[in-house]
Amino acid sequence: MASQLQGKRILIAKPGLDGHDVGAKVIALALRDAGAEVIYTGLRKTPDYIARVAAEENVDAVGLSILSGSHLELVKLTAEALKREHADDVALFVGGTIPRGDWDALKASGVDCVFDSEMSLEQVVDEVARRLA
Amino acid sequence: MTASRAPRAPIHRRALGRALSRIADATVAEALAVLEGDGRARGEVWRCGITGPAGAGKSSLVGRFVNARLAHQRRVGVVAIDPSSPYSQGAILGDRIRIDAHGDDAELFVRSLASRRARDGLADNIANVLALLEAHDFDDVLVETVGAGQSQYEVRELVDTLVVVLMPGAGDMVQAVKAGILETGDIYVINKGDRPGAKEMVAEIASVLRHPQGPNDWLPPVILTSALAGDGIAELDAAAEAHRAWRARHVDADSARRQRRRAHVRALVARRLAEVIEAGDDSLWDADVASAYHAVVAGLDYPDQ
Repeated sequence: MASQLQGKRILIAKPGLDGHDVGAKVIALALRDAGAEVIYTGLRKTPDYIARVAAEENVDAVGLSILSGSHLELVKLTAEALKREHADDVALFVGGTIPRGDWDALKASGVDCVFDSEMSLEQVVDEVARRLA
Repeated sequence: MTASRAPRAPIHRRALGRALSRIADATVAEALAVLEGDGRARGEVWRCGITGPAGAGKSSLVGRFVNARLAHQRRVGVVAIDPSSPYSQGAILGDRIRIDAHGDDAELFVRSLASRRARDGLADNIANVLALLEAHDFDDVLVETVGAGQSQYEVRELVDTLVVVLMPGAGDMVQAVKAGILETGDIYVINKGDRPGAKEMVAEIASVLRHPQGPNDWLPPVILTSALAGDGIAELDAAAEAHRAWRARHVDADSARRQRRRAHVRALVARRLAEVIEAGDDSLWDADVASAYHAVVAGLDYPDQ
């Protein structure tokens, strides 16, 4: 899987209040190992901050890790913030504890792909590479 | 210090972010085609490098320092460089968490770069990247190198002021002398100043710095800071202003420009060499060393230029 994502820049961010970033870090490392330059912003970032970083860093994709249950609201706010920064063309991924029943609503808010814990790292990397190709 | 100035157009983060990618991703041929752009008039833009070993707390210090610069009503651009993996070419760029933790200052722009092919603690096309920021109405352009050990001469040539960040207990004086860091810095910072041995280290570094040869030479100050607590940042800011003022009086603009251009050309040639070596197929390395050397050198020139 090496170099699948070479030349791509991806922001991995955690909006909202949950304090667990192990999953986000594992994903960040898997994307790095596939050749991506991964900007990692750490815990508890606001949607406005995430959008600002996405614009400044000119990323190809933003990956949000959300375990708090507030994914519908946080994704909507992040998509709006990206639009304000003229960065709504950036791909948007969401991972975490997201019930399948919410996937359609997330996609309607502008999410390109939802990842859950059922998926292997290889599947996540493959899917990101496919979407960014 | 700059007086408070008229409101200026807000930074267009999306457009500048894209422009920076274009220049950071440019091949050597593309970079050569871009106008060099010496930026605005000398003295208007201040370029500052921040270097030092990994773990010295450079990013946290930059975060504190940026706030001091913003308080002077200056527009601040920061380039933070992290190493690329030699295996995957990927990178984790995590400096900015410590630089713009609040992330809501209208006059601050932060960009992370991966070192890519650069082997000097900097990044591909860094000279063009800095020139581009200068052309975008920033007052201060700061560049944080990767955790450099013994190779920080390149950044020295690209900036007006070089801040070397060290920490107590990170190797003895012999290491610091060997690394050449006591010859390159304009300002020395001993960060993590609350640790044991910090004050002693300030005295030790100050005692071995090269002393001014003439009355117009600069004597680098050694400043104790704690980026975590915010201690010593006002002193660092004052030292930066003093160095800026000293340069304006004593450093000849033409020689500064020549030095910067020399560093720029050297970086481009090093990068072009990497391009040629990457493009060479295995048969090139079956030849003897002299033949391979000549083949590589011949490949450096562009057929289309």
